[in-house]
Amino acid sequence: MKKLMRVAALAALWPLMAGAQAPAAVSAPDDSGYVWNQMTAEMLTALKSKGDALRGQISFDVCVGCHRRGAVGRPSGAYPRLAGQHATVLIKQMTDIRAGRRSNPKMDPFVDGHVITPQEIADIAVYLQGLQAPVENGVGPGTSLDQGKGLYQKECASCHGDKGQGDSAKFYPRVAGQHYKYLLREIHMIWSGDRRNSNPDMVKTIKPYKDLEMEAVADYMSRLPQTP
Amino acid sequence: MQTPNFRATAHYLSTRLPTALLLALASAAPAAAADHAQAKAIVSTSCVACHGEDGNSVVPMFPKLAGLQTEYLTKQLNEFISGKRKNDIMAPIVAALKPGDVGPLAAYFSGQKMTPGSIGDKALADAGRSVFMDGNEDTGVPACAGCHQSDGLGRASGGSDIARFPRLAGQNAEYLANQLRGFKEGARANDPARIMRAVAKRMTEQEIKAVAEFISGGL
Repeated sequence: MKKLMRVAALAALWPLMAGAQAPAAVSAPDDSGYVWNQMTAEMLTALKSKGDALRGQISFDVCVGCHRRGAVGRPSGAYPRLAGQHATVLIKQMTDIRAGRRSNPKMDPFVDGHVITPQEIADIAVYLQGLQAPVENGVGPGTSLDQGKGLYQKECASCHGDKGQGDSAKFYPRVAGQHYKYLLREIHMIWSGDRRNSNPDMVKTIKPYKDLEMEAVADYMSRLPQTP
Repeated sequence: MQTPNFRATAHYLSTRLPTALLLALASAAPAAAADHAQAKAIVSTSCVACHGEDGNSVVPMFPKLAGLQTEYLTKQLNEFISGKRKNDIMAPIVAALKPGDVGPLAAYFSGQKMTPGSIGDKALADAGRSVFMDGNEDTGVPACAGCHQSDGLGRASGGSDIARFPRLAGQNAEYLANQLRGFKEGARANDPARIMRAVAKRMTEQEIKAVAEFISGGL
């Protein structure tokens, strides 16, 4: 019981500790009832655990069949690049998928609780965060980069960073170096609400976007330097 | 079953104790000779008919055991004994083993050299190479090479990594395909964390046949 209360207290404090927006400050939850970055006990446990990169590399073996050695992902966009992503972001996404807040049927059987522990999630996250991705990523057609740059700088850079570096403390992902087709797919899913654990502010921001604008901004992001 | 976390810890420690391991191996040499003789006696009566004297089974439905990791062979034998891996042919044979036989048998077969087969259907094997190296993105079949490595040797035993992933390269195609079907249907259910059942469930019969043909050639 004491332990539960400690977890609950931490859950309330974590957004402040991590510099994330407190739940009261964000937009009203969408239809799914998802409150941006509301902590689960498992997410807190993984965030508090000290990750070990060597153990993470071993645990990541099971992920290599899709995400490739070195977590470089695939230019087809079927599987994202994870190398260099912030550990906080990776922990959020893995625990959200386990909690059913983000649908990912392809990944479910390989990330579920019977496969890896919260400690292993922390280990994998630290391992991936430390990886560089020297392999070139998939980029878009390059036909509307000026438009993409304009949109990105005006509406995306304040959260994802002017170099696409993201923000570890706020759980905003690095987008630089990501495969274009993956970025585009996720933008579409955030736009449509299918990516259910999205930040509501982002959903609102991109709601007026047409397909061509989403393509332009994804193309621009995919060409940001991978190691800012 | 060991938890994944335990396995990771075991790896972690084993990378830090190479000297101790080498010393232990050196002092174990005479015991190894005795184990070898003990295993050979069992092989020549109980295993040879199906798996061959040197573990290179020539009967396509039976697996080659030569060169598979000691840890993998130990796990399979123990699980035939416990019933976790069910097999009507193996059950009565392992029932006759004594508890001290498993280790020497695993070490014996692991120490043999596997002879790869030859590919009969090149087009099928080429399709299998694609499954092995890339999986199927549309259906979420991971590449076999992710865990079993691009040379199909799995994780070599005795190194910095325990053998979580068995050697596949050179294995009999018919046996491989039967195991994949077993995982797919759940008849074989002794895979750690249900990983192989999840993978095989997503594979088509054609993918199973193709990847088995490709692997049997030795990669």
